[in-house]
Amino acid sequence: MTSSSAASRKNLSKIACNRLQKELVEWQVNPPAGFKHKVTDNLQRWVIEVAGAPGTLYSNETYQLQVDFPENYPMEAPQVIFLHPAPLHPHIYSNGHICLDILYDSWSPAMTVSSICISILSMLSSSTVKQRPEDNDRYVKNCRNGRSPRRQGGGSMMTKYDN
Amino acid sequence: MGDKEKEPVLEDDAMGSCSAWGNFEDDDVMQQQCSIQDDEAKKFPYVGDKEPLSSLAAEYQSGSPILLEKIKVLDEQYAAIRRTRGDGNCFFRGFMFSYLEHILESQDNAEIDRVKANVERSRKALQTLGYAELTFEDFFTLFLEQLEDVIQGKETSISHEELVLRSRDQSVSDYVVMFFRFVTSAEIQKRSEFFEPFIMGLTNTTVEQFCKSAVEPMGEESDHVHITSLSDALGIPIRVVYLDRSSCDTGGVSVNHHDFIPVATDLPNASGSTEKNNPFITLLYRPGHYDILYPKGG
Repeated sequence: MTSSSAASRKNLSKIACNRLQKELVEWQVNPPAGFKHKVTDNLQRWVIEVAGAPGTLYSNETYQLQVDFPENYPMEAPQVIFLHPAPLHPHIYSNGHICLDILYDSWSPAMTVSSICISILSMLSSSTVKQRPEDNDRYVKNCRNGRSPRRQGGGSMMTKYDN
Repeated sequence: MGDKEKEPVLEDDAMGSCSAWGNFEDDDVMQQQCSIQDDEAKKFPYVGDKEPLSSLAAEYQSGSPILLEKIKVLDEQYAAIRRTRGDGNCFFRGFMFSYLEHILESQDNAEIDRVKANVERSRKALQTLGYAELTFEDFFTLFLEQLEDVIQGKETSISHEELVLRSRDQSVSDYVVMFFRFVTSAEIQKRSEFFEPFIMGLTNTTVEQFCKSAVEPMGEESDHVHITSLSDALGIPIRVVYLDRSSCDTGGVSVNHHDFIPVATDLPNASGSTEKNNPFITLLYRPGHYDILYPKGG
């Protein structure tokens, strides 16, 4: 299910390719703390290892993020999900989908893979309880695409972070 | 501070009217409505063809008499309208087309040099604010390319027809819109003390948060704050003509407009010309949407 959307993906545009190359170089020089990019030759799909921050509910745990870039990145947000097993978190569904506004309506080209990672880590770190979203079963059962949820119940689920 | 809690409550109320349908259908219905609106908008090009002003009156044939009266008044001063897609980027898109069209037709080299200097100031402002160069440089490059290409007599020169085509091509049009969003955001943050009270009044968020959530994401609609800051940052005056149902106290029908005149001193035609206060960009505002207007004899 997690890779169902990959089949219909179009190749990156030239300008998207350019931008991603630059982000990759920047990442190599200055990676966000707690993240490791697993190097492959696929520029359009990044797999990133996340280490839970010390002193939080997720310390000593590692997870994997899968980042897929659309043809017209960065005009459109990348699709970001946790690979199985996803961390137990009130805004992360068991299928790895993440409820985070910057991945949808609040995305802007001023953001980068790196800034998304920092927002996701901040979302993990600020959690006070390890549990699934209340509507997890319903959401996962009805989820028809590989994308993370756009907006649930008028946005009440959506996490806003200031990063 | 107390206001902070008001907004979610309002949102819940709005949702409440649907809740009888059950949460499940709610999400589906909302998503479907969103996609219907998106699809409707997508039928229209980013920038339409130039149409006679009579096409505006035709829209309101069976509508409000006061609007029809106002359109008659507009008809005395304006010859044509060019519509833009209602996708939340219409202000920036209308500004883009109107500005590049003006440069293409006027071949005003002094204006080009002046605006380029302001573009570089915006670039510096973003750097100072801590934006990573890689996030905005492509957008700056693309805009400067368009500006170069409307200058005639070069190998890369483009015709008016080509300008229309580019404005309808997502890979150019959206990049230029995003360029303006960067410039607008930089100007607001650079002068955050000035803009703060307006922003607090609009959204009750910090200046930085406002820029992140209401300026930088594509599709976020523009308000006075956006227009003021873009006009100031680039030093380009903008006239906005308002077409709404409001009637004036004196009984007669008139159409209001507001000129956004940049605060900077290096205005186009600043050398004492009377054109100083005569913006060459005119946008027609109807609640929630901006189109381009063409003055008569212009």
